[in-house]
Amino acid sequence: MLRNARHGCSHLRHLGSTRRHASQISHLSGSSLKELNTSVNALVYIASDGFPVTGGLPLSGFSVAVKDNICTSSMPTTCSSAMLLDFISPFDATVVKLLQDGGAYISGKTNCDEFGMGSLNMYSVHGPVINPYQPPDSSVSWTDRERRSAGGSSGGSAAAVAVGMCDAALATDTGGSIRLPASYCGVVGLKPSYGLVSRWGVVSYADSLDCVGVMARTVRDVRKTYNVLSVYDTKDPTAARPATRLRAAEERDKHQEYSLDSPLSGLRIGVPQEYFPSDMDSHIVQPVRRVLETLRARGASIVPVSLPSTRYALSAYYVISSAEASSNLARYDGIEYGTYIDPPPGTDKTKTAKVYAHSRSAGFGKEVQKRILLGTYALTADAFDNYFLQAQRVRKLICADFDRVFCVPNVLNSTSQSNPDFTGVHVLLHPSAIRTAPRLPSSTDADHDLGAYVQDVLTVPASLAGLPAISVPAGHGMDAWPVGISIVGQWGCDEMVMDVAEICERYNTT
Amino acid sequence: MLVHVSNPTTLVRLSRSLSLVHTSRALNDDPRWPGWDVVVGIEVHAQIKSRHKLFSECGQGSLTSDYSVPPNTRVSPYDAAFPGTLPRLNPRCVELGVRTAIALNASVQRRSSFDRKHYFYADLPAGYQITQHYAPFATDGRLTLSKEDVHVRIKQLQLEQDTGKSTFDPRNRVSEIDLNRAGTGLMEIVSEPDMRSPEEAADYVRTLQALLRSVGSSDGNMEQGSLRCDVNVSVNRQGAPLGTRCEIKNLNSVKFMMIAIVSEVHRHIDLLEQGLAVPQETRGFNEDRAETYSLRSKEDAPDYRYMPDPNLPPLLLNEAYVTEICQSMPELPQAARARLLALGLSRRDVDVLMDIDSGREITFDGQRSGGALAYFDQVAQRRDPRLVVNWITHELLGQLASRRETFSENSISVEQMGGLIDLLHNKKITGTSGKSLMRHILATRTTTMPSTLAQELSLLASPADDSNLEAWCAEAIAALPEEADAARRGNANVVNKIVGRVMKASRGTANAQSVKAMLLKLLH
Repeated sequence: MLRNARHGCSHLRHLGSTRRHASQISHLSGSSLKELNTSVNALVYIASDGFPVTGGLPLSGFSVAVKDNICTSSMPTTCSSAMLLDFISPFDATVVKLLQDGGAYISGKTNCDEFGMGSLNMYSVHGPVINPYQPPDSSVSWTDRERRSAGGSSGGSAAAVAVGMCDAALATDTGGSIRLPASYCGVVGLKPSYGLVSRWGVVSYADSLDCVGVMARTVRDVRKTYNVLSVYDTKDPTAARPATRLRAAEERDKHQEYSLDSPLSGLRIGVPQEYFPSDMDSHIVQPVRRVLETLRARGASIVPVSLPSTRYALSAYYVISSAEASSNLARYDGIEYGTYIDPPPGTDKTKTAKVYAHSRSAGFGKEVQKRILLGTYALTADAFDNYFLQAQRVRKLICADFDRVFCVPNVLNSTSQSNPDFTGVHVLLHPSAIRTAPRLPSSTDADHDLGAYVQDVLTVPASLAGLPAISVPAGHGMDAWPVGISIVGQWGCDEMVMDVAEICERYNTT
Repeated sequence: MLVHVSNPTTLVRLSRSLSLVHTSRALNDDPRWPGWDVVVGIEVHAQIKSRHKLFSECGQGSLTSDYSVPPNTRVSPYDAAFPGTLPRLNPRCVELGVRTAIALNASVQRRSSFDRKHYFYADLPAGYQITQHYAPFATDGRLTLSKEDVHVRIKQLQLEQDTGKSTFDPRNRVSEIDLNRAGTGLMEIVSEPDMRSPEEAADYVRTLQALLRSVGSSDGNMEQGSLRCDVNVSVNRQGAPLGTRCEIKNLNSVKFMMIAIVSEVHRHIDLLEQGLAVPQETRGFNEDRAETYSLRSKEDAPDYRYMPDPNLPPLLLNEAYVTEICQSMPELPQAARARLLALGLSRRDVDVLMDIDSGREITFDGQRSGGALAYFDQVAQRRDPRLVVNWITHELLGQLASRRETFSENSISVEQMGGLIDLLHNKKITGTSGKSLMRHILATRTTTMPSTLAQELSLLASPADDSNLEAWCAEAIAALPEEADAARRGNANVVNKIVGRVMKASRGTANAQSVKAMLLKLLH
């Protein structure tokens, strides 16, 4: 747009409003990709083989970048950690194989927070991802744009999609790691229902929360990719079985009594009051209100709802995710693979842990170490009841909150029954983030305090309940940076969530 | 999803309280420690005999405790805790666990779950072991020892992963890690403290070994490490409350277990007689010095930070599944013994028959392999069981042993063995010929039936009136004139020597009784 003339880099013309040229952009040559990446740092590995000429498959001609915590046998899988800097997995993740079998081209690996832990994509051995967005009225060149965060932990996937380095990107979401960067970068990000997309080959952060999802510039591209990935995999013990998927689809169909075209009569959208915390920037609320007004004007009912346990969600999330992280990351000792640091001479080697400590101290970044310590404490015999078990109880309350407001029953919960007299909502709608993309702190900035965690209030409840959630662009804040809204549905209602997202997307662009 | 989130109310740590039921047993003063009671409980870890590990499809083909397998050649990415790998429960291990629980009269839990036990050790690649801490697989069982009035209650049975093996090379000062065993399925079988002497403890382990082998759930081999014991010992003055227990870890033979218990009992008595308390401890056993040593005190007990495994949904077993396994259970040792005795076999023959290959009738994953007992049962159908057992336990085992072969290498089919027994039973061949025939089949591994072979090899018994017999006898008398004279003078022993010559000439086909009769006729 404005900027290509200034720095003469033709493919950058698509920044800002990219949709038209999306398919051309993803076929960038390796050298142009590298040049583009210098300013974004979205890709940590770029495939060297050429774009394959295949046809007839659902993803033929489609290029997909893969988050660096998803295993690939032909590229490194570092998880953005010094611990796995030279690690190449002996196998491909099921999702990678499905993409390849579907005709997609795997174009590279995307930057992320170390092992998926972070909200700003700052905690990466590869350095932070720089949000590629630049407001249209900016007066500086794109490469000199304001350095804002792409969000985390899947910041590389969001930025790579936003800047057109690929058609879609695989990402993971444990507590908001897809939806937050999608919101900050102005792209679409889907976290599917837990158990619908295989986790075999996805490096565990917190197994009971981790989901593989898709980021793309349009809901259509997200759906196209998701359809290839959403298959039962016997290698994943937490995968929902075909019978469960079928039952969820039947329940969803029973409640699909609305129209997707104007008018949207019959569509009931819940707005949870707890999702507008005092920390939320006022200029986030404006675009969200606009979306709701548009939807109401087109015939949808907007229903205020309450999810009272939301305020406990954040603490429960951090206890559970840290506890599982402390367990999952115990394997990184540098013995079988990964970084090994020889203990200095004179080290007390009487205990194995004392030998490992050197590798683990050098290999893990500070955020990862912080969460391992927190999780280790939560699992100690003295703390287990008050922390871990209490968090599990809260998790049940969160699930029950959601089951109370949705009209579609939860097929995973035998006590959740379809009530014919009850008119619950089809989906929930709320802001994806409490603000637009924050500035990246310079190295002189003080350590981030709890502020980085408060953001997660909006995204962790759906993670704890395993529900499908999608973030779609919904205009811009007062600072002219992208604002995202999230649509959350009952377990197994991924299609419904994408349907509503598509409606929002349609009205956002017209 | 969320099915894996365990109900918090079920996460109550199982207490390992000492029950007082044992006091109902008659107290026998042990001359080794008069006035003292000894109480023993045993935790057995038995490797599950499956071709695959508990949570990974790692082709084993042999048990991972087998020393002949080169190190680190039975390791999948999951076993080495590679990032991105996930567990998948091996249903064969569950089935063998259920069989074991049924054999132990334990109640199989309709719902059990898997937990992670965390500690850092080089032979534990994931940094945790998956076990069943909060909700074990089966509870409340019972094992009757060979001393029939002794019943040992089984507190629980749980499924868990084995670790790898680490060995320290003192010369190069390095630890060597072999992950072949890592992730292999184990059954942890915990007894109540119901044993009262080292001998009862040994009886318990041996009885359990035989039971595990008979249902095919474990090889139960202590020397190779497919069965390992941790023993809890406490000592109290007769009539006084139970003493403080000490756990002795990793005992790898029944003999050493007994020595360790005796040594531990004396150590406790020494302390108690000095008026000192026995501190609760975990102890090791030094085989060379035949004594135990302290590994760690109760205060140093590690915090394993148990956590429900978020990848493994609860294990739900319905009634129909358990019933089906119950109905297809292999015969248990006590039932088999009773049945064989009822057939008229001697106690000794039954012991020998059931001890062939240590009673392993089942190969990997519960598949029946046709062990010695099954072989006997098939051959003995519609035949004299005593004749069959004689030929199996004496002749067949003897010949296999001299060929340095085990029973599993026996090449004589059930049909061949049956045919051989029939020839013997109908006196178509002599015992001597039967042995030659058996030797021939084992050596050539032929599949031809014994009746045909006997004809080909001219081993069929000579009819008593055969003219050959008279010719052989006359020939023998002529060849041994001195012996013949002595025989004529009434020396009966010498007759046998002439019989032997005739038997040799007939290549064993002659009937010894007929030969003797013919000789006496010709001599007198």
